[in-house]
Amino acid sequence: MHSTHHLRRLTAAVAVVAAVALSIAGCSTASSGGATKISLSMQNPNVKTADPATWAIVHAFEKKNPNITVTVTGQPVAQHLQNLSVAAQSHTLPDIFWIYKATAEQMNKSGYLMDLAPMLKDLGLTDKISSSTLDNFSTGKVTYGVPYQGLLTGIWYNEKILSDNGLTVPKTFDEFLHVAVTLHAKGITTLSDGANQSSFSVWSFLVDLDRYGWESKYQAILAGKASYDNPDFIRFYDSIAKLREAGAFPSNVTTQTYQQAVNEFTSGKAAMLDAGIWASSAIQDSTVAPDAGFWAGPTFSDGVGKQDIVMNVASAPFAVSADVKKDSAKSAAVKKFIAFYYSDAAQQLLVDNGQPPVTNYTPKLDATKQSVLKGALEASTAPGLTSPQTQPDLVVSTAVASAMYDSIYGVIEGQLTSKQAVDLVQKAIDAGK
Amino acid sequence: MVWLSSRWKIAIMAAPALIVFTALIVYPVIYSAGYSLTDFAGFGDPAFVGLKNYIDLGNDPFFWSSLRNTIIILVVSLVILVPGSFGLALLLRRRFPGGGALRALVFAPVIIAPILVGLIWVFILDPKIGLLDRLFGALGLPQPEWIGGNVLTPYSVALVFVWGSVGFAMTIFYAGLQQLPTDILEASSLDGASGWKQLLYITVPLMKESFAIATVLLITNVFKIFELVFVLTNGGPVHRSETLVSYMYFITFNNQQYGSGMALAVIITVLGAVVSLGYLLLLRGRKSA
Amino acid sequence: MSAPTSPLGRRSRRRTGGIVAAIAAYLITFLILLPILWIVLLSFQSSEKILSNPLDLGSLSLLNYVHTVTSLPLAQMYGNTILLAVVSVTIGTAISFMVSFALTRMIFRRRRVQSGLRFYILAGLAVPVYILLFPVYRLDLALGVFGSYAALIIPYVGVSIPFNTLLLTGFLRDLPTEIEEAAIIDGAGLTRLIWSVVLPVMRPVIATVLIFNVVYVFNEFPFASILINNPDMTTVSLAVSQFQGQYSVDYGGMMAAATLVLLPQLVIYAIFQKQVIAGMTMGAVKG
Repeated sequence: MHSTHHLRRLTAAVAVVAAVALSIAGCSTASSGGATKISLSMQNPNVKTADPATWAIVHAFEKKNPNITVTVTGQPVAQHLQNLSVAAQSHTLPDIFWIYKATAEQMNKSGYLMDLAPMLKDLGLTDKISSSTLDNFSTGKVTYGVPYQGLLTGIWYNEKILSDNGLTVPKTFDEFLHVAVTLHAKGITTLSDGANQSSFSVWSFLVDLDRYGWESKYQAILAGKASYDNPDFIRFYDSIAKLREAGAFPSNVTTQTYQQAVNEFTSGKAAMLDAGIWASSAIQDSTVAPDAGFWAGPTFSDGVGKQDIVMNVASAPFAVSADVKKDSAKSAAVKKFIAFYYSDAAQQLLVDNGQPPVTNYTPKLDATKQSVLKGALEASTAPGLTSPQTQPDLVVSTAVASAMYDSIYGVIEGQLTSKQAVDLVQKAIDAGK
Repeated sequence: MVWLSSRWKIAIMAAPALIVFTALIVYPVIYSAGYSLTDFAGFGDPAFVGLKNYIDLGNDPFFWSSLRNTIIILVVSLVILVPGSFGLALLLRRRFPGGGALRALVFAPVIIAPILVGLIWVFILDPKIGLLDRLFGALGLPQPEWIGGNVLTPYSVALVFVWGSVGFAMTIFYAGLQQLPTDILEASSLDGASGWKQLLYITVPLMKESFAIATVLLITNVFKIFELVFVLTNGGPVHRSETLVSYMYFITFNNQQYGSGMALAVIITVLGAVVSLGYLLLLRGRKSA
Repeated sequence: MSAPTSPLGRRSRRRTGGIVAAIAAYLITFLILLPILWIVLLSFQSSEKILSNPLDLGSLSLLNYVHTVTSLPLAQMYGNTILLAVVSVTIGTAISFMVSFALTRMIFRRRRVQSGLRFYILAGLAVPVYILLFPVYRLDLALGVFGSYAALIIPYVGVSIPFNTLLLTGFLRDLPTEIEEAAIIDGAGLTRLIWSVVLPVMRPVIATVLIFNVVYVFNEFPFASILINNPDMTTVSLAVSQFQGQYSVDYGGMMAAATLVLLPQLVIYAIFQKQVIAGMTMGAVKG
C-alpha cells in the first residue's frame, strides 16, 4: 500500500533523529586517561572569584599531585542544595561538597556520607583541628564533616566616613543609633545589607540574637519547652526596628544582592557593612582599605547575658560522599586532598586570601598587604571577648533558619512588626515537629 | 477520511507523542504527587503524613499572598496582552516599509531568557540604580518603589511579563491572520463593511482558535512565572512579591521541605489545568450552543 | 472630507490610515525595544558610571566587551544549545504533528476518546517544570543517558508536546477540510495526504511552532541546571543564570555579556524570520 510506505518513511525519519541523539549521548561520556578525578562542589556560582581561598588551595593541590584532577563546580546556595538532594537519591553525589550542618546530619543519618573519623585520626588531624569543631560535626563516634572555613562575623566600618561626620566607632547600641541618625541626615547609608539572592546575609544580627540570650534559650525553644516569642527576642527585633527608623539601611535593601551591599561599602558609600572575615580581601583591594576596621557589634543595655561577644565559630562543613569508599583510587585522592587542605601550606593560602586558618596553625600576616585581615583578627581576639558555641542559624533546620533570616529582613524592610517576626520563626519551629 | 482511520493507523500517529508525554510529564507528576503526601526533606526516607502538607499550606499566609500575586499578574497581563498583541498583529499585517523588520524586532523580547529579562529590568525598576527612578527624579515626580515594595511589585512583574510576551502572543495572532481565507475578507470589504465592522464581525470570529490558543498559553505561562521574580526581588520583601512557583522553589530548595514543595507544585498544576482547560471547555460549550 | 464612496477619497483615506498605522507600529516597536537599547547603552559604560551617570555619552568604551569576550565561552554555549535545539525540536514537532493530526482529522470510533486524549495532553501545559525535575532525573539515570545531551533532549521533547499539540490542533481545526477531501477522492493515502496536502498549508503554523520550540530550548534553565554537570556542555541559559553571581557588581560586564548573548539570538531569529517565515507564509498564500 502506497500510504503505508510513506508512513514508514516518516517514522523512519523520527527514528534516525532519535538515533543521532543517542549517538551524541555516547560521544560525550568519554573516559579520562590515567589521572584520578575527584569533584568538589561549592555554594558559590563562581568559585574562582567568590571563594579565592578554595580556588587557590585546589590549584596548589593539583600542582603537587599532577595525577589527580579536582573538578570544582559551584552554584548559588539554593541551587547547590537542590542538586545535592537530587544527586543523593540517585547516588551521584560529588565526592567532596559544602553543606549545611543540619543537612549534613540528615544525610549522615541516611547513610550518604563517609565517616571521616578514621581518616582524620590516620592523618593526625585530630590534634590540629580543635576538638570542639570536630565534635560539632560528629554524632557519636562518626565524624561526617570537616571545617571548611572559619566563620568570623560582625560589622566592618569605614573610620573616615565616621570621623568626617564627627562620629567615632560606636560601642553600645545607643551610640550605634546615634551614628545612624547622624549619617541618615546626610544621606549616607550606615549599615549596608542586601536581601536579594542572599536572605542569609544578616550575620551581625545573628550575633545580636546571642546578645539577647539565644545560647541559653534555644535548646528549650527547639524542644518545644519555651517559645521563640519571648520578651527578650521581642526586644531584639525592636532594636532592628529602631535602626530602620533611624534610616540605617540602604533604600534598595530588598532588591540589592549581598555583593552589591559589599560594593556599597568598598566604594565608600556606606559607613558600615554587615558581613564577616571573608569580605576582608574585597575590602583590602578597595580604596577604603586604610580606613576599614572590624567591630564585633553593639552591646545592649537591655540585653541578656554576656554582651562582649564576637562570632568566631566553624562555618558549614565539607562532607564526603559515602560512595567514595567504593573506589580505592578516588578514596586515596580524597584522603590526600584532605591532608593537604589542613596542611600549613594550605592554611597559609587561606590566610593569604583573607580567611582565618581553621587549624591551630599560626599564620604569617603582612602588616600592610593584609592590614584589613590583620586588624579584624586582632579585633576578634581582644581581651575579654568570647565567642558563642555556634551561629544561631547553624543549629536549626534550614526551614527554621530561613524563617529567622526572613524575620530579620522583614523588620529591616519594615514589613514585619517584632511580634510578627517572632511568630514567623515560632511557626516554622512548630511546623518542623 | 474513514478508510484512512483504521485503528492501527491512528495508533501509529498518536502513540509516539502519547508515550513520550505519559512517561515524561504524567508519570513524573504522579510520582511527585506521591511525595507531596510525605515529609520528605530531600534526604533520608520519606514518611507518609497524609494531607498535612496541603493543610499547612492552607494555613500559610505566604501561600495566599503568592496566589494573590499570581492572580494580579494573570488579570493585568491578560487585560493588556490579549487585545494589545492582537492589535499589534493587525497593525503589522499591513504593508509598509520595514514591516518585516518590525515583526522580527517585536519578537526580540521573547527570545531573551527569562533570567536575562529579569536582569535587564533590574536596571530599569530598581529603586536605586534603575532608569525609571532616574527619570522620575529628574522630572521631579515621586519615585515609587517599583520593585521591592509590597504594593507595586506584582504589577511591575506583570509589566515585565507583558513586555516579554507581547511578541509571543502577537506571533500566534499573526500566524492565525495569515491563515484567514482572503476571499471572505475581500468579499466583505467589497460589500462596504467598514474596517471596525469587518474586524468585529468577520475577522475576530474567524480567529477563535488563535484567541483560545493565545489565552490558554498566557494563562499557563503566568502560572509558571519564576525566573522574573527570582531575579527581580527573589520574592522579597519577606515573600510579599512571591508568585506560586517562586514560593514553591523557596519551600522545596531553600527550606528543603520537598514534600511541602511538591504539594504546592500539585496545587499549581491543578489550578493551571482547571483555569486553562476550563476556559477551553467554556469556549467549546459556547461554540456548540 | 470627501464622501467615502468616491474611489479617490477612499484611496487617500486608506493611505493616511496606512501612514498612521506605520507610525504607530514604529513607535510601539521602539517602546518594546527601549529596555534592550538601555542595556546596550549600559554595556558600554563602566560600572561606576552606571551607578552615577549612565546617560553620559562621553564616557562610552569597549572595555567591558574586551573583558567579557575572553571570559564567555560563546561558541561552545551556542554550539551545545543549537545541537540540543535541532534534535529535540525536530523530534518534538514531528511526533506532535502526528498526534495532532490524529486528534483532529482522523475518525475515532468514539469521539469522546478523541477529545479526551486532546485534553489529556493539553493538561500538560499547566505542569510547572519543577515538579518534573527529580523524576526526570531518575528516568535519565534509569535510561543510562545522564550526563549526555540525550538527558536533556528527552525532557525537552516531552515538555514541547502539550504546547505543540495546542497550536497544531487549534490551527488544524480552523483549516478548511475541502482540499483534503478532494485529495482523498483523488485516491491519496494517509502519508501523501499529510506530505503533499496538509503540511504545505500548515507551513506558517509549523514555522511558528519551530520558532517557539527553539526559543524554549534556548531559554530553558531548570532542567539544564540539574541534568548538565559537565561545564563543557553548558548551554546559553545556564551561562546566563550565572551572570548575577559571576559579574555581581561588575554591571558593565554583566550588560556586555547580556548583549553578547542577545545578539546571536537575534541574528538567528532574523535568519529564521526571513528565510522560514517569509517563505512559508508566501507558500501558504499561494497554496
